[in-house]
Amino acid sequence: MIIDKQLNGSELILSLTGRLDTTTAPELEAVIKENIIGVTNLVMDFAGLEYLSSAGLRVILSAQKTMNKQGEMVIRNVNETINEVFEITGFIDILTIE
Amino acid sequence: MKNKGQKISQAFQRWLLALVAIAFLTSTAFLWFSQTRLSEDNTHNLLKLNILDVEQDIKDLSDENLLKVTHRIAKELNKKDSVSSFDLMVLADKHSVPEINLIDTNGIISASTFPNFVGFDMSSGTQSGAFMVLLEEQNELVQSYQPLTYDENIWRKYAGVALKNGGFVQVGYDSYSFYEDISNKITQSTRNRHIGENGSIIVADERLNIVSNRGGYVGSELSTIGIDLDNFAPETLFTVTVQSVPSYCMYAISEGFHIIAVIPQSEAVLSRNVSVGITTVMEVLIFAALFLLIYYLIKKLVVNNIERINDSLAKITDGDLNEVVDVRSHMEFANLSDDINSTVDTLKKYIADAAARIDAELAFAKAIQHSALPSVFPPYPNRKEFDIWATMDTAKEVGGDFYDFYFVNEDTLAFLIADVSGKGIPAAMFMMNAKAVLKSYAESGLEVNKTFTLANEKLCEGNEAGMFVTAWMGFLNTKTGEVTFANAGHNPPLVRHADGSFEYLKVRAGFVLAGMEGVKYRKNELQLAANDVIYLYTDGVTEATNINDELYGEVRLLDLLNAHKDATMEELCKLVLDDVFAFTGEAPQFDDITMVALKYNGTSEPTEEVQS
Repeated sequence: MIIDKQLNGSELILSLTGRLDTTTAPELEAVIKENIIGVTNLVMDFAGLEYLSSAGLRVILSAQKTMNKQGEMVIRNVNETINEVFEITGFIDILTIE
Repeated sequence: MKNKGQKISQAFQRWLLALVAIAFLTSTAFLWFSQTRLSEDNTHNLLKLNILDVEQDIKDLSDENLLKVTHRIAKELNKKDSVSSFDLMVLADKHSVPEINLIDTNGIISASTFPNFVGFDMSSGTQSGAFMVLLEEQNELVQSYQPLTYDENIWRKYAGVALKNGGFVQVGYDSYSFYEDISNKITQSTRNRHIGENGSIIVADERLNIVSNRGGYVGSELSTIGIDLDNFAPETLFTVTVQSVPSYCMYAISEGFHIIAVIPQSEAVLSRNVSVGITTVMEVLIFAALFLLIYYLIKKLVVNNIERINDSLAKITDGDLNEVVDVRSHMEFANLSDDINSTVDTLKKYIADAAARIDAELAFAKAIQHSALPSVFPPYPNRKEFDIWATMDTAKEVGGDFYDFYFVNEDTLAFLIADVSGKGIPAAMFMMNAKAVLKSYAESGLEVNKTFTLANEKLCEGNEAGMFVTAWMGFLNTKTGEVTFANAGHNPPLVRHADGSFEYLKVRAGFVLAGMEGVKYRKNELQLAANDVIYLYTDGVTEATNINDELYGEVRLLDLLNAHKDATMEELCKLVLDDVFAFTGEAPQFDDITMVALKYNGTSEPTEEVQS
C-alpha cells in the first residue's frame, strides 16, 4: 500500500492506494499516530483503495475516535466495494463519507 | 548491507604506498646529497691537480728564463775588472731587467742599479740571506716571485750567479719584465690543457688581465668572462658562470700569474646524475615489487579470508542458519570460524526451542478456544423442531471467530456467529470475553437487540487496544419459527425458505460491537416455516483468496448453497468448506472459516402459524 501524506497546517490529507489489510494496517496506524497531533481536519482519500479488511477498519475506527475529540474526519472517494464493507459493518453510521 | 568506511585493503594500500614513498624519497635525497659531495670532492681534487701542474710549469719557465738572463749578465761582468753602479744600469737597460746588484765576497752589495742599496749586508734579511750560499760551493740560485724583505708591497723575483772573481751578481725581475719573456710559452703550455671533457685553464696576470684562455678574450679583464676572484680565497672550490656556462672554479697565484681551473658544472655532476638516475630507477623497481608483494600477501592472507567470512555471515543474517563458516587457512581465522559456528548453533537451538514452545502454546490456546464452543452434534437430540450444525476451521494462527448457541428459555434458542478484528492471542482472548458477555446478557432474558446494546457498553470498557467484533445473533422461537435478530456489522446471512432459493438477508446493520459507546441496536424479525434454512458465516468464507488474488465471494457461495437443496445442515457446512478449499487450492488460509447452519423443522404438533 502507498500512503501519500499532505499536511497543511491543521489539515492532514492521507491518500491510500492498494490494499488496507492485516499487513498494511500497522503502516497507516503509524503514519496517523505520528501526524495527528494538532490536526483538526483529517481527510482520508480512498480513491486508490482496492480492499479493506477488519484490521483496516480497526485503524479507521481508532482515527475516527481520536478525531471525535479534536476535530473532524472525512473519508472521500469511497468506491462501491469499500462502501459495502462500511455498510455491512455499520461503520457507515459513525463515519462521515463524502 | 554495505557499511561506509574504507576497506582494509585500501587503507593498507595507502599506508604502504606512503611508507614506500617516504623510504624512496629519503634514500634518493641521501644519495643525491652524498653523490653531490663526492662529485665536489672529485672536482676539487681534479682542479687542484691541474693547477699544481700549471703552477709548476710556470715556475719552471720563469726560473729558467731568469737564470738564463742572469748567466748572460754574469758572463759580461766576468769580462770586467771593476764594475760601477753605472755599469750595472747600462747592463740593466740592455737586458731589460729592473735591478742588478753586485755582491762582494763578504756578502755586501758593492754596486747596484739602485745606488742606495750599496753597502747592504745580504745576510741581514731572510730573503736576501738565502743568496749567501753563492759565496760558497753553489753556483746559481733562483727564488720564486715574492715580497721584498724591506717592503712587502713590492714583489720581485731574484736569481743569482757566482762570479769567477768571488762574489756574485743578483738580478731582480718584476712581473712586467718577465711577462713579456714567458707569456707566449705559458700560453703554449696551458692553452691546450683539458680538464675533463670541457674544462680548461685560464691564466691571468697580476692585474687580472687574461693571458691565456682557450675561449678567447686575451688581454681583457677576467671579469668580462664572469670571473671575479676578489670574492674567493685561493685553492677553494667555488661556482661561477663563466662565459654563460655554470662552472666550478678554483684558482692559485704563482709567479704573479693567476691560474684559474674551470670545469662546467654539468660535467662535474654528470657522474652524480648518472648514478642517482640509475639508482632511482632500480629503487622504483624494487619498491614497486615490494609494494605489490606485500599487498598481495595481505590481500591473500587477510582480506580474502575476511571476505569469505563476511559472505557466510551475510547468508546467516539473511536467515540461512545452516551456513557453516569454514576458513581454516590460519589459526586466527579457524578460531573465528569455530566461534561463529558455535554461536549460530546455539542460536539455532534457542530458536528451535522458542518456536516449539510458541507452537505448543498456540496449539493449547487453540484447544481452549475450540473447547469453549459447542462441539457435540447434534447438540439437542431431543429437540426435533430444528437441526443445527456449526463448524470453525481455524487458520494456522489463532483467530477471533466464534459461534455459539444455547437456550435462553424453554422455547427460545439463541444462536450467533461473530468475528473479532485481528488475529492471534489478543483476538482469541477478546473473543472469549465477548462470547461470555453476550451469553450472560442473553440468558438474563433481554431481547436480542438489548443484549447487543448492553454487551457493546460492557465490551467498550477498557478496550484500549481498539478491538471490535462483528456479530449476528438470532433468537428462534422453536414453537413459532419466529426469529428476532440483531446485526452488529456482520456479513448478511443466507436464508432459504422451504419452497425457494437462498437469499441474502440484507438489513441495515448496526455498528460493530466494542467499537463505540452509546450505540443502540435495532431488532429485526424473520419468520421461518418448516424446512426453512438460515446459514451464518464469517468473511473467512467470502474473502477466501486463491493464488490469483480472486475472492471466493458471495455469488459463489449463493450458487453453491442453491445447488444442494437437499443437503443436511452437516453436509451443507462440509460442502461449503470443501468448495472453499477447492477454490483456494495452494494459497494459504489467512482467516478462520466459520459457519452455522440452522434448519427449522416446525413443531411436531402443527401450529396455526406453521400451517398458514
